[in-house]
Amino acid sequence: MLIFAAIAVSFPLALLLLIRLTPRPPVREMEYARETLSKAGSDRADTYSKKLFTQAAIYYDSAMVNWKRENKRFIYFRDYEKVAFFAELSAKKAIQAGDNSISSTSSLKIKLKQKFETLNDLISEINNLFTTYPLSSEIRNRISNGKMLLEEAEIAYKKGQYLQANRKMTDSEYLLTASYDNASSNLKNYFKSYSVWKNWADRTINDSKKNRDYSIIIDKFSRKCFIYHNGSKKYEFDTELGKNWVGDKREKGDNATPEGMYKIIKKFDTNKTKYYKALLLDYPNDEDMAAFKSDIARGKLPPSAKIGGLIEIHGNGGKGIDWTEGCIALTDKDMDIVFKLAKGGTPVTIVGSTHELEEVVNR
Amino acid sequence: MKNKVLMGLAAITMVAFLSSCGKVPQDQIDATNAAIATAQTAEAAVYVPAELAAVQDSMKVIMANIEVQKSKLFKKFGPATLKLDETLAAANKVAADATAKKAEVKKEVETTLTDIKAVIAENADLMKKAPRGKEGAIALEQMKTEMATVEASVTEAQALYDKGTYLDALNKVKAAKEIAVGINTELKDAIAKVKGKAKPAAKK
Repeated sequence: MLIFAAIAVSFPLALLLLIRLTPRPPVREMEYARETLSKAGSDRADTYSKKLFTQAAIYYDSAMVNWKRENKRFIYFRDYEKVAFFAELSAKKAIQAGDNSISSTSSLKIKLKQKFETLNDLISEINNLFTTYPLSSEIRNRISNGKMLLEEAEIAYKKGQYLQANRKMTDSEYLLTASYDNASSNLKNYFKSYSVWKNWADRTINDSKKNRDYSIIIDKFSRKCFIYHNGSKKYEFDTELGKNWVGDKREKGDNATPEGMYKIIKKFDTNKTKYYKALLLDYPNDEDMAAFKSDIARGKLPPSAKIGGLIEIHGNGGKGIDWTEGCIALTDKDMDIVFKLAKGGTPVTIVGSTHELEEVVNR
Repeated sequence: MKNKVLMGLAAITMVAFLSSCGKVPQDQIDATNAAIATAQTAEAAVYVPAELAAVQDSMKVIMANIEVQKSKLFKKFGPATLKLDETLAAANKVAADATAKKAEVKKEVETTLTDIKAVIAENADLMKKAPRGKEGAIALEQMKTEMATVEASVTEAQALYDKGTYLDALNKVKAAKEIAVGINTELKDAIAKVKGKAKPAAKK
């Protein structure tokens, strides 16, 4: 009986002692590691701090693997040191990942917002500057694709997909900036002759004053035909030009409208031209001939090239596009006025622009 | 004395009972993991990422609790088993929600594709009626180029739709629609302006 009593008393005591001696797993450390990992996940560290987040997840898994392995050993031989070590490491990395993700997201958002504004401004400038300027289809396509990518970037941004927005915006920026640079360098190049044009236009106006007669100035960039009399502007008409109006005419068939100081050499009334009424210019003049020969001599044009001719101011305009092969088209109504006041010898000066590039840009 | 003997026997029986209680609910673990895998296959990470993360986190808590119990002399897996049942149900819901969300996005892509095709057709018609003033022709050229880009974008969106990447398709087609609708408004405004000019205002 005494034996039974001894067992009954000593067994629970021994059991309590055994329980106390059992190695304790790092439950709190594991819980903390899991919580920080979960928070980092909700801070989107899996996307914005991928490397650190992956490391944290790997350390957490390592802690679990070690915990499982230790639990398979005999209860008193278990050692949870490694589990605690990995749990701590995981928590540390997860905190870093979370913080990193928050700061990256925030700076990315600011960067994207600024870029949006810059690119939208660039689009406005492109629209403003190149409304009447014939850009090549390649540049037009690039601008159009740039706009589309910017729109896609905006949608991704609104959905909080900042990395995707950033990728799209970078592509958009490349297309828009390259197109703008290309188009504006083209435009700047075009305006290099401005001082020459201004000189021609001033001389033409002065001659009109001196001769007390009419003279005509064609401004290609603004598509205008100005009629001066006695040094004062009397009329202003819209014009349509050659399909390839940018730059001076270089050879026959290039569809460019020439630039220079010309004179009317012949008038064709309604029954003498298919373009309602026409005023034939003395293109090519001596300068045009010299430039053409020089281009051939320097190999800029093939020896077989021809200089072209029959440049006129004529009717049938008002189509809204640049459609001629190099001539200047007016509406029939405007042509009636010009035809009436022009005569053989009336000066016609064709310039790229009567305004400086800065003026054109800020208009 | 008799009582002491009985107490001793009861203690031994209790120890035996508590030890035998400690069986890992492996079947429930496997079933829950399978349900989470099904949710992942249903693209829960794409369509309901927060829900999926919550279920995965619950599973982590359960697995940690199981290891806590396994670390003890007297194991008790009852609460973990209950949690597993809850998480299994939640994982099944995540899979169902992902499927539903995917279907919803798919439907939205289909609707937007139909809408944009109508806008494209309307724009083509409006282009013919658009005024061709001094700046009109070049502006129209740009619009035509932009409409070509819109159409290319719609083709890409359709390809993404066919591939089953509905969210990407939706982003693309929405951007294309924004541009197309912008052009549509511009064209309508330009036409309305010309019509307004044609009709002289009534004398007051």
